[in-house]
Amino acid sequence: MAAARYTIRPVTSGDEAEVPVQARQRRRRHRLLVWAARAATLLIVIGGWQLFTTWKIVDPFFFGQPSGIARQLADWAEHGTEYGSIWLQVWITMKEALLGFAIGVAGGVIFGVLLGQIRFLADVLGPYIKAMNALPRIVLGSIFVVWLGLGTTSKVMLAGVLVFFVVFFNAFQGVREVDRNFVANARVLGASRLAIVRHVVLPSALTWIIASLHVAFGFAIIGAIVGEFLGAQKGLGLVIASAQNNFNPDGVFAAMLIIAILALTAEALISRLEQRLLAWRPQAPSEASLT
Amino acid sequence: MTVLTGPEVRREASEHASVELSGVTKRFLTPGGTAFTALRDVNLAVEPGQFCAVVGPTGCGKSTTLTLVAGLERASAGVVSVGGRAVDGIVSGTGFMFQADALLPWKTVLANVALGPVFRGTSKKEAQADAREWLRVVGLSGFEDHHPHQLSGGMRKRVSLAAALINQPSILLMDEPFAALDVQTKAIMHNELLTLWERTRPSVIFVTHDLEEAIALADRVVVMTAGPGTVKGVYDIDLPRPRGAVQEIRFQPRFVELQRQIWQALREEVERAYARTAAVPVLEEVARS
Repeated sequence: MAAARYTIRPVTSGDEAEVPVQARQRRRRHRLLVWAARAATLLIVIGGWQLFTTWKIVDPFFFGQPSGIARQLADWAEHGTEYGSIWLQVWITMKEALLGFAIGVAGGVIFGVLLGQIRFLADVLGPYIKAMNALPRIVLGSIFVVWLGLGTTSKVMLAGVLVFFVVFFNAFQGVREVDRNFVANARVLGASRLAIVRHVVLPSALTWIIASLHVAFGFAIIGAIVGEFLGAQKGLGLVIASAQNNFNPDGVFAAMLIIAILALTAEALISRLEQRLLAWRPQAPSEASLT
Repeated sequence: MTVLTGPEVRREASEHASVELSGVTKRFLTPGGTAFTALRDVNLAVEPGQFCAVVGPTGCGKSTTLTLVAGLERASAGVVSVGGRAVDGIVSGTGFMFQADALLPWKTVLANVALGPVFRGTSKKEAQADAREWLRVVGLSGFEDHHPHQLSGGMRKRVSLAAALINQPSILLMDEPFAALDVQTKAIMHNELLTLWERTRPSVIFVTHDLEEAIALADRVVVMTAGPGTVKGVYDIDLPRPRGAVQEIRFQPRFVELQRQIWQALREEVERAYARTAAVPVLEEVARS
């Protein structure tokens, strides 16, 4: 009797047309459930935080309060920060992060492809690049501030350096992993070295490069914020630093929230770009996982 | 096949298409740091317009021979000459079909076939028109905008064939091109290959480990020894051309006779190669019975 309970029931009533319909229903149900669980998680964390601080189980002086963060954001939107409007701070930080990102990606791809293609260069420069990568590059931030002043340039540089290494190592590896059959085939067909890079090496390495961009943009924002933290006249990092100095945890968290929103937006844009550029692939893995 | 009416023969088989290897030896450095001889003292001549099949056990340096002729690798000793000129660098006018797919997965079928002309500096528009024509020849009209992963194995092979032939090579080098296909698809590809070859008549060096395939397709079958590879015997195949359906020819008495004759030579080498990798001589009994 017990065995009968485990017989596999036919999922459909035998009609093929019902298969996609049922699959779609199942998918919709799944999605609904995921979103409900996400909302519940958020509610528990934020609600718990609010309640625990209201009941003084944890001290709102150190941990801030969701309601306080909301008030802080409203206040910034209305009156601005002590360094000008909040939009200006966002714009400055974004500008630094984006410029640094662009410089770092360009440099990383160019050096990655060059060193990946030219063995001699890779052998000569390899140890130095590894050594530089091993340095805690955040420290460079203070040096850049000394060299380049309190303006945006020092932050762009820091963000660029952080991004460079992430992209460089991926581009280098991607170039090294190019299928040798592809290269041999292109050579037999009469391709010049430059044509091989353009038609074979770069597109092949693109999967690796784009994968690194997700991490790289995070680093660009870190670079910009830390740079501002170390010394700046404007920007979200400076807002955080001054909130911290005024014992205002709500301010720190509010700025963090803004940064998180910016980072998520950028992440979504990069995913878009990824889907566009890698449309030839059977299925982008990013589609299947975190979206 | 019925669809095959395409670009006209632009070149008569000429002396540019002869291939000659004399006393060719190729040594490699293994990752372990020791030298490995893949080919030893190979002498081989392919006349213009001839279809030459090279058979031999696994790892006998068949593929290495092709890379030497294409100019992808250089001989350690001896001379490889194509069209009477010693090879030093990529030989223009060769087409190469690899064992694995060499189609670029990020390019469409059309762009893949058009690569040859594009690399040679033809304008993109012309190259694409040419590629379209060749896709029609191999029976893949309508698949121009597909990506390789959307095609079946046999279709991908046809695309590779079109991509290799679009430059109108006088020498076609094929490295076990149909090894990954199922038997039926393979037979279809054999027929198509022969039809295409009989029209433009490039010299072909066709590497395979399948003796039936070699005899059915080629004018001349070269048997190589187990590694280090060298030429063990050369057999002229006097089956009439055009061969027609490759599946049928296998039943002709002459085919069977040739096969028996060449297999005698090949079997020893296969057994030697097998004994070397497996080190289990017991199977010799089975192979002989």
